[in-house]
Amino acid sequence: MTATLVAILSLTVLGIPIALSVDRSSRGPMIIGTSFLYGSGTMFLVLLTLSLAHIRWTLISVSVSALAIFCAAAVIARRRPATGNRQRPARPHVFDLLTIVTIAGYSLFATLVPLWEWDFWAIWGLKAKVFLETGAIDWRFLQSHWNTFLHPDYPLLVPLNFDFVALAGGWNDRWLGLLFVAWGMALLFIIRAMAAREMTPFYASLLTLGLAGIAVSTNIGLAEGALIAFSSAGVLFVRTGLLDDDAASWRNGALMLGFAANCKNEGMALLVAVTLAMLAVSWSRVLTVSQENHTARPRNRATARLLRLWPAYALAAPWLVLRATRALATDIAGGSALVRLMARLPHAHLILGYLAAKLYKPWFWVALLAGILIAPAAARRREAFVLLVTAIQLVFFAGAYFVTPHDIHWHVLTSWARLTGQITVPITFVVFLMLANSLRGGEDAPHDEATRPAVPARSDQ
Amino acid sequence: MTLRRALTILCLAAIVAMSIGVRLMQVVFVDREPLARALDGFYDRQWPQYPHFLADLREHTKPGDTIAVVVPAMGWDDGYSYAYYRASYFLTGREVLPLVTPDNRRLPQNFLAAKYIAVFGVRLRVPADVIWQGDQGALLRLRR
Repeated sequence: MTATLVAILSLTVLGIPIALSVDRSSRGPMIIGTSFLYGSGTMFLVLLTLSLAHIRWTLISVSVSALAIFCAAAVIARRRPATGNRQRPARPHVFDLLTIVTIAGYSLFATLVPLWEWDFWAIWGLKAKVFLETGAIDWRFLQSHWNTFLHPDYPLLVPLNFDFVALAGGWNDRWLGLLFVAWGMALLFIIRAMAAREMTPFYASLLTLGLAGIAVSTNIGLAEGALIAFSSAGVLFVRTGLLDDDAASWRNGALMLGFAANCKNEGMALLVAVTLAMLAVSWSRVLTVSQENHTARPRNRATARLLRLWPAYALAAPWLVLRATRALATDIAGGSALVRLMARLPHAHLILGYLAAKLYKPWFWVALLAGILIAPAAARRREAFVLLVTAIQLVFFAGAYFVTPHDIHWHVLTSWARLTGQITVPITFVVFLMLANSLRGGEDAPHDEATRPAVPARSDQ
Repeated sequence: MTLRRALTILCLAAIVAMSIGVRLMQVVFVDREPLARALDGFYDRQWPQYPHFLADLREHTKPGDTIAVVVPAMGWDDGYSYAYYRASYFLTGREVLPLVTPDNRRLPQNFLAAKYIAVFGVRLRVPADVIWQGDQGALLRLRR
C-alpha cells in the first residue's frame, strides 16, 4: 500500500508545475485535482515515449524522464505571468464531511480485495502485466490474433499508469485500487473548486456531495474511473472557457480531453462530440449577435475556438497513428459495420426501447430531464454546450449498438450502465447549477443575471 | 412560493437524493467481510482452485513458453473463455493458446503446437511426460 501511495503522490508532485504552467493562478482544491490528473496523463506519455524509443522501463529511466519534464514545466510555470486570482476560495461546509465519508467508503471498497472485475484481468490489468514484464509496450502481444479478446485498439493510459505504480512497488492486484480513488478524488477537487466559483458554499458542497456518488466508478480496475475524471474535467473546463473566454480554462479543457481520448475509445468519441457542440454553440450564438449589430463574424469565432482545442487533438493523434500503423484489431468497426447498421435500422424502435428499459438509475435521468425543462430558458441557452455534448454522446453510444458485431442484448447489458455513467457528471453539474442559481436569483431576477458567473471573466492570452 | 420555484426545489432534492453514494458511505460503518467474500473470487466460483493451479503453473514454466489449457468445460461460454482469459492473466510472459474459438470450433493445431498442456480437473489420455503434478491438475509435455 505504501508504495502505491508514494507512486500516487509522485504523480501529483510531477503534475504541480504542469498544472501551474497551464494556469498560473490555480490553487487550493483546483491545483490538487489538476496536478494529479496531469501527473497521471504525463506518466502515460513518458512510458509511451520510452517504449517507442526502445528504452526499457525501469524506475531510473522513468524517473529521469519525469524529472526532466518536471524541471521544464517548472521553468515554463515561472515564466508564465501571474493573472490574478480568478478562483474563489472553496469555503468548507458541513456537507463536505459527508463527501469525505463517501470517499472513505469508496477507498475501502476499491481496496477490499484484489481487483475482481473480469475486464481487469482480461483487458486492462492483463495488458499492464504483460508490458511490465516486457519493460515496454509489447506490440507482438497486441497484434497476436489469439489476443483480440483484450481489445488491442483500446488506448493505454490506464494500463501504463498501472505499470508506473508497479515499477515503484511491484505488481499488487489489491492496492492498484488506490489509483481509482485518486482519479475520483482529483475530479471531485476540481468540481468543488469550479462549483465554488459559481455557487454559494451550501450549493457547491451539496453538488460535490451528490457528484461524489457518481464521479467515482465502482468498476474498479477498468478504464472508467480515469475516463470519467479526465472527460468530465475536460468538458467542464471547456464550458468555462466558452462562457468566460478564459484562456487557462481552454488549455485545461483541451489537455484533459486529450488525456480522456487516451483512456478509452469513448474518450475519442467525446472529443468529436465536444468539437461538434462547440461549433454549434459558437455559430448559433454569434449568428444571433451578428443579426443584431452586423459586426461579428461567426466563422472566425468558431475557428478560433476550434484552434484552442489543438492540444486535445495533438494528444489523441499518437495512439490513432500507432494503432493504425500497427494494424491493431478493432471489434465495433470490424467486418461490415454498414451491413449491420442497415439490417438493424428497421428495428430502431426496439433497440431504443431496450436501451430505455435498461437505463441505469432511470429516475435520476428523469429528474435531470425535468430539471432542464424547469430551468429558465436563458440558463438553458447558457448551458447549451454541455447539454449538446451529452446529447451527441448518447447518439454515439446508441449508434455503437446498431453496428456492434456482438449480440445487442448482451452488449447493452454489459456496457450501457457504464457508458451512461461516463457522461453523468457534466450534465448533473450544469442542471444543478441552473436550478440552484434560479433559486438564488429569486423568481423576479433576470435569468441572465442569475446565471452569470460570480467572478468576472478574464483572458490571459 | 410559485409553482416553478417549488418544482425547482423538488427537482434539486431529487437529483441530490438519487446521486448521493449512500452505499459507499455505508461501507465505512458496516462489517465488510461479507462483501469481501462476495467480491473475492467472484468469477472463480465455478473452479475456486483454478487460480492456485495457475499460480503453480507459473512457478513451473518460463517466459516464452507456449501453453494450452484443458479444463472440465471445453465450451466457450460453459467455462472455457474464463479458463483461457484467467490463464492469460496468471501466465503473463508465456503465450497461452486457446483450444476452442468463441463459436466453439476446436483448434487442434494449438494443442499440437503448445510446448506444454496444462490439465485442470480432468485426466488426459495422451502420450505425454508429466512435468509437474498438483492436487487439481498437471503440466504435461506431449511426446512427439
